[in-house]
Amino acid sequence: MADRTQRNELRATLRERFPRERSQLLPALQYIQDEHGYLPGWAMEVAGWHLGIPSSEVYGAATSYTELSTSEPASHVIKICTGLGCRANGSLELLERTKQELDSADDGNVAVEEVPCGYMCAVAPVAKWDHDWIGRATIDDLKAIAREATSI
Amino acid sequence: MTSHAQRALDSLKASATQRAAAHSDMTRIVVQVGHCSAAVGADQVAKALASQVPDSSYIVTTGCDGACYDAPRVVVTSPDGARSTFSGVKTEHVGRILGSSGLPTQYESADPYVGQHRIVLDGCGEIDPTSLDEYLLAGGYSGLASALAKPQEKVIDEVKASGLRGRGGAYFPAGMKWESARKFPSPDRYLVVNCEEGEPGIFKDRHLMEGMPHRIIEGALIAAYAAGVHSIYIYINAEADLSTERMKQAVDQAARAGIIGEDVLGSGYNVSVTLRRGAGGYVCGEETTLLNTMEGDRREPRLRPPFPTEAGLFGRPTVINNAETLASVPVIMAHGAAAFAETGSEKATGTKVISLSGALERPGVVEVPMGTTLREIVFGLGGGIIGGKAIAGVAVGGPSSGILPDSMLETAIAPGMLHESGVMLGAGGVIALDENVDVLEAVRSLAKYNADESCGKCTPCREGTPRMVDALDRLLSGAGSPGDLDELRGLAEVVGAASLCGLGQAAGGPINSALHFFGDELAALAKG
Repeated sequence: MADRTQRNELRATLRERFPRERSQLLPALQYIQDEHGYLPGWAMEVAGWHLGIPSSEVYGAATSYTELSTSEPASHVIKICTGLGCRANGSLELLERTKQELDSADDGNVAVEEVPCGYMCAVAPVAKWDHDWIGRATIDDLKAIAREATSI
Repeated sequence: MTSHAQRALDSLKASATQRAAAHSDMTRIVVQVGHCSAAVGADQVAKALASQVPDSSYIVTTGCDGACYDAPRVVVTSPDGARSTFSGVKTEHVGRILGSSGLPTQYESADPYVGQHRIVLDGCGEIDPTSLDEYLLAGGYSGLASALAKPQEKVIDEVKASGLRGRGGAYFPAGMKWESARKFPSPDRYLVVNCEEGEPGIFKDRHLMEGMPHRIIEGALIAAYAAGVHSIYIYINAEADLSTERMKQAVDQAARAGIIGEDVLGSGYNVSVTLRRGAGGYVCGEETTLLNTMEGDRREPRLRPPFPTEAGLFGRPTVINNAETLASVPVIMAHGAAAFAETGSEKATGTKVISLSGALERPGVVEVPMGTTLREIVFGLGGGIIGGKAIAGVAVGGPSSGILPDSMLETAIAPGMLHESGVMLGAGGVIALDENVDVLEAVRSLAKYNADESCGKCTPCREGTPRMVDALDRLLSGAGSPGDLDELRGLAEVVGAASLCGLGQAAGGPINSALHFFGDELAALAKG
């Protein structure tokens, strides 16, 4: 839970950056997520105060968009695309083997997620390591990432 | 008589010509950096080139030319015009490339443009997307200047005569959309440029934003002028960071040059452009959902009517056009409706940008005339299946559409339905599946996508789409019964008939195409 100072600081920043209009809700939430990596409950509440939107509606909007997250993310994420274009290029096997690799390392610090499409189908299969996309990903690429991830 | 706009444009071009002269006796080294090619090392190549470039050369970072199979690509053009193209470039090749300027052209052997007709993509991978000058010198903004010199009705008539339809998937005539927004009485109106592109297997709007941002902006300005709009919103997908960066830069440049803002090119027309980012979700590309997103609501569609052209953004008449649609507009205004309508088929004019992927030798982004057959696209431009394997099917148009078998590849691309079972061209995704992929597993993955992305507003879609997946799972796991086929058929019909937006209405597409084309396989599974 954030203290009063943190709330006041956020409120001041929001006041500076975002006009008090409902249409600013998504830009404000995107700003908060960029700052914190996710949307803390108290920050959503502050966004609601500033924009004059009930917390329930802020939460409703926040949980409706796939790119917004209300829970703290794992320290590191490996995302592997399992869309059709990537499947046709062996992404399911990549996913399986990456999971095995991390299971054997027994590390809770790294999450492996499937994504439905990375929109880079022409360099399939694709994977994402935290913020970087890797095109034409191979088992060796992902093994190297898994090793790096578990040693952090 | 030369119009104000034309004179203003001519003077911008004159200063661009002067600035370009500084490079006229230098070797031009183009590095194609897009979000895909960066993922295979193009940004590293660009850095390495920049650090070693000799004084006799200059580096330009462009978008990609669509030959993604060969990315990263570098094109070297010497002052005498000789070109060398380097494919699959790695940082260790940089020294060799810089030493080889002036080599005879290697282009003919692997020209990726053969079989294409590039209007929308013309210049992608060639001209600098971060340079207004290069766009101007390639004839850019002459469509806008020509539009501003005409009355708004004339611009709409020209676009109507061209037969241009929306390229986002619904193929509504663009000119009619502008006209209805324009005719609806209101103190203000909006234009929203839909660059949400959240559909799996589609990456052409990103390709275009990264390669030719000014063309989209020019098209948007023409549309806004014609529809009586003074505020444009460009709505870009949450993940498309590079696209956003290049679009923002292009908007800023155009504003500084007097192409956006008060008194556009001295014509007296005022317009503002604002960029907005999406926050994820397939349904957000649906136009009424997109409006809810922009207004700060949940990602849910709205009831229609009223249509957005009557009551859209903030309740005002709103034109919503896809990026590719708008990028087709400048050429219509610059060269006339007749020139545009020469390309394509009788039923549909112009071209379509296709996102080609799957088990292909040459996946990438291509632009072909409407009426081109899927076989030409998959085997001609796409180079056929990797390793000469057999083709199992082609998923056309994404999760709202379906999968066609090999026997249907003579089908010509056209707006709307390609086959009565529900296979549509959609936004132009073509994913080829080889014999190693189980087509029914592929259908399941499309159905699962629809179930995951359903926003939950309409009960039939929220409850029906997961049940389609359940029925497919029973069949695929060997626990199927003939009743499952009936359930799939019934669900596809009910969800399609009782949903508000396109996601639900077309959610049965993959199922229906499977029942039609792969019915025997499904029936075999249903016997257990």
